[in-house]
Amino acid sequence: MQPFTLHFARPAVELDSCSEYAYDRGLQLNVLPDGRIAATDHATLRALGTTTSTAGSKTHFDD
Amino acid sequence: MTVLILTSEADVTADLVVLRLAEDGVPVVRLDPADLTAGAGLSVEYGREAGDGRLSVGGRRVDTAALRSIWVRRPGDAAAHAAHPSAWLTEESAQALYGTLRCSGARWMNHPDAASRARHKPWQLRIAQDSGLAVPTTLITTFPQAAREFVARFPDLVVKPVSGTHPREPARAVPTSRVPPDADFSAVAFGPTLLQRRIAKRADIRLTVVGGELLAARKPADPEGHPDDVDVRFAPSVAPWAPARVPGRVADAVARYMKRAALAYGAFDFAEDADGLWWFLECNQSGQFGFVELDTGQPIAGAIARWLAGAPERPVRDAGGDRLPAP
Repeated sequence: MQPFTLHFARPAVELDSCSEYAYDRGLQLNVLPDGRIAATDHATLRALGTTTSTAGSKTHFDD
Repeated sequence: MTVLILTSEADVTADLVVLRLAEDGVPVVRLDPADLTAGAGLSVEYGREAGDGRLSVGGRRVDTAALRSIWVRRPGDAAAHAAHPSAWLTEESAQALYGTLRCSGARWMNHPDAASRARHKPWQLRIAQDSGLAVPTTLITTFPQAAREFVARFPDLVVKPVSGTHPREPARAVPTSRVPPDADFSAVAFGPTLLQRRIAKRADIRLTVVGGELLAARKPADPEGHPDDVDVRFAPSVAPWAPARVPGRVADAVARYMKRAALAYGAFDFAEDADGLWWFLECNQSGQFGFVELDTGQPIAGAIARWLAGAPERPVRDAGGDRLPAP
């Protein structure tokens, strides 16, 4: 009884990027453990895949 | 005048825009509706008062009359972080928050009404076609026989979710997938199925539209790649995204689409075929942009910040109702 489309589903890859940085309410920005602003560290952003088009798929459907 | 950003704390892509606004000295309040009653609050009075609301979060307060723009990025469900969350509380909180903000006179990226409508892929396909974009022949059906007749006409098909959502429990991803030639379509009866003629692509195109600015990026397909690797989000990457020029006819059609959809922001996906024609796949009204900016260096976050920092629209109380954003 599974819809046809779901025959093509695969296990989701859950990103655990949230543990790599923490939100600073004062700055209204996420910061890395060493205090740097996460968004300025493009290498980290790439490594985490946080900004990629599948990153939002866990809770949102606008990729 | 303040920019209100509705998004989750973990949304590091929004940080790119917060940074640009901070550099320009534009006041920002960032609020996750999920935090209502648990770190974020609101108050508004009607009657003798003007009906302006007040929001508070993280020690910041802002009057809704002082909002120049509202960016709906990745907001959580209202009051989802409350001590005792419930569907009822979420509805109550969403009505209070968004109802108040609709009266603010701020301009939206994107207005909730426009966003809600623009999420519907069948509607997207129709608007894209009417706007002059090339749209692959597509069938959405619950009739297995219609699917069988469609594949007889177009033997090389892909299938993808109508809504773009991913099933939970268990969590699964549903990429755009090539339909095998011996597919059994009887299960089409168990859910609406979107079948589309596969475009043999030589590149993927992501066109990010911010107000009137078009920022296109192109990612070449692997010439040696397997034809089953249809979805660029899941296929092996052989080249980074690079800036691309937007063909004039596509630019004109996209402008018509944005106007029809009343969107201030849209992320268009196209497949470029061997002749260089861009085939419309979808337009995500809140599509990700960070990955494009990182690869291409295109200043998308800056463009969003500039749009958000623009002058507010005329207060809606003078117009007698809320309004969709100007294209």
